[in-house]
Amino acid sequence: MKLYRSLIYRELKLTRKRGLLMLILFLLLALLMISPIFFGFFSMAVEGEDSPKDVIPIFVVTIALTGGILAGTNNGVQKADISSGWKRYSFILPPTARQQALSDLLTKLCYVLLFGFLSAAFAFIYTTIADYNNIAVMLNVYFGAVCATMLVDLAYSYIMMYANDKDQMKLIGILAFVGAGAIFKVFGLFPGFNKTEQTAEDGAMISEEAINRLEAVLCSGKTTLCLAAAFAVICVLFFLVMWRSHERREP
Amino acid sequence: MNDYVNAVEIKGVTKKYDGFTLDNISFDIPKGCIMGFIGQNGAGKTTTIRSMLHITNIDSGEIKLLGLDHIKDETEIKKRITVVFDELPFHDVFNARDMARIFEGMYPEWDNDAYLKYIKRFQLPEKKKIGQFSKGMKMKLQIACALSHNAELLVMDEATTGLDPVVRDEILHIFMEYMQNGERSILMSSHITSDLEKIADMVTFIDKGKILLTGYKDEIIEIHGILKCGKEKLAEIDDEDIVSIRTNNFGAEVMVNDRENAGCKYRDCVIDPASLDDIMLYYVHRDAKEWS
Repeated sequence: MKLYRSLIYRELKLTRKRGLLMLILFLLLALLMISPIFFGFFSMAVEGEDSPKDVIPIFVVTIALTGGILAGTNNGVQKADISSGWKRYSFILPPTARQQALSDLLTKLCYVLLFGFLSAAFAFIYTTIADYNNIAVMLNVYFGAVCATMLVDLAYSYIMMYANDKDQMKLIGILAFVGAGAIFKVFGLFPGFNKTEQTAEDGAMISEEAINRLEAVLCSGKTTLCLAAAFAVICVLFFLVMWRSHERREP
Repeated sequence: MNDYVNAVEIKGVTKKYDGFTLDNISFDIPKGCIMGFIGQNGAGKTTTIRSMLHITNIDSGEIKLLGLDHIKDETEIKKRITVVFDELPFHDVFNARDMARIFEGMYPEWDNDAYLKYIKRFQLPEKKKIGQFSKGMKMKLQIACALSHNAELLVMDEATTGLDPVVRDEILHIFMEYMQNGERSILMSSHITSDLEKIADMVTFIDKGKILLTGYKDEIIEIHGILKCGKEKLAEIDDEDIVSIRTNNFGAEVMVNDRENAGCKYRDCVIDPASLDDIMLYYVHRDAKEWS
């Protein structure tokens, strides 16, 4: 336990500045999204079928999405460890590769919990003040965003595993950038991914039917279960990649 | 804790890179000894140390640290050894206190009092960020961390390079203190031979990935000598006595590998004692035989 406390302390301390910046960004956005409550926006009388409360799901989704992306994104520890020489130094320290990988995962989960809690608190404010009650949407969007961002982080961490020093890190960074560009280019060759010729004048780019379908998926408890399972799998994959990364010796 | 005779045993270790091979090297460091590991830049010192510490995998050979296999018993070994690199591998955002918090969970035998004593002795600020430390301060911090968990083997890779003589002397003095109980060993790689001359019990010379000499420092210094003579006299000196010859305008200086024997054989020549620096220099040029 003492060992994990040390390892996690190191990572949290190392990512403190970054974490603080992300937190400020998140709280500012949350404040912006909450401000309509203070201005009495939701109690305004409007004509027609539309209600001001229709925008609440958009706010909740935006916050959950932002929180999920911030929580799942790469925390820069791997890069910092290579730059400072700690990665090499860690080979002579007592913690095993497995223990270090577990600490990486636990640190990641700390951020997932923090931003998850804040996103839930945001949704809760709307639940109590503006009578909005659909926490499942928030959960699904949050976990969806965490899973998607962690998948990108997984790929990034796997590539970074091959860097032993600053120069190699730069080279790998450039190659990854070029590779990502090439992937987008390849995707653009498929007809389904290339709709730039369609304009707003042709009608709505997303049909109402599609929106309804998406809403049904986002509100579904099954989606929550699937995303929870996907999150668990991604966490295991993340652990395995980090394990391999800590285990891999220099050539 | 296991009982062992040699803190380090390296047998037939080979590691191949493009353009460089650590070629079948072998040497031992007996328990309680300070071993100086000498060689010019690129000779293979760092590769040997990295192989020893399993930072890199070896192609063949056997390495034992504290009597344990360096791969099979890696976890056990790492609790009982410590390493000081030429550059501080700690993040700039941490301070000395943070490092104590990080290491105290990692090392079962971490001694916070000892650490704080070293910090005070080195006059290092506890709350100042490492990024604002001078090179000397960084090295002192690394050494304070290295000496605070009762490690039995201390490995140093060019740790004193780039430090001023005062700091170097202070650090060497601390190493001597650390060795007092006779249970600890040090492997100190350096190309500053004056440091090793001060504290090393044994020395190992490495050049182009091959071990040239290994043994007790005093014996090595005693058996080697610099024979001074005129160039015309060189022909009379047996090849087997010569390591290499340095020529200049006034004559020649020959490194002989058996000073006593050479003293008897070449009575009309002066033989001066050789320093570790001289020995390294003459051995490095052994292939050229004659150099200036």
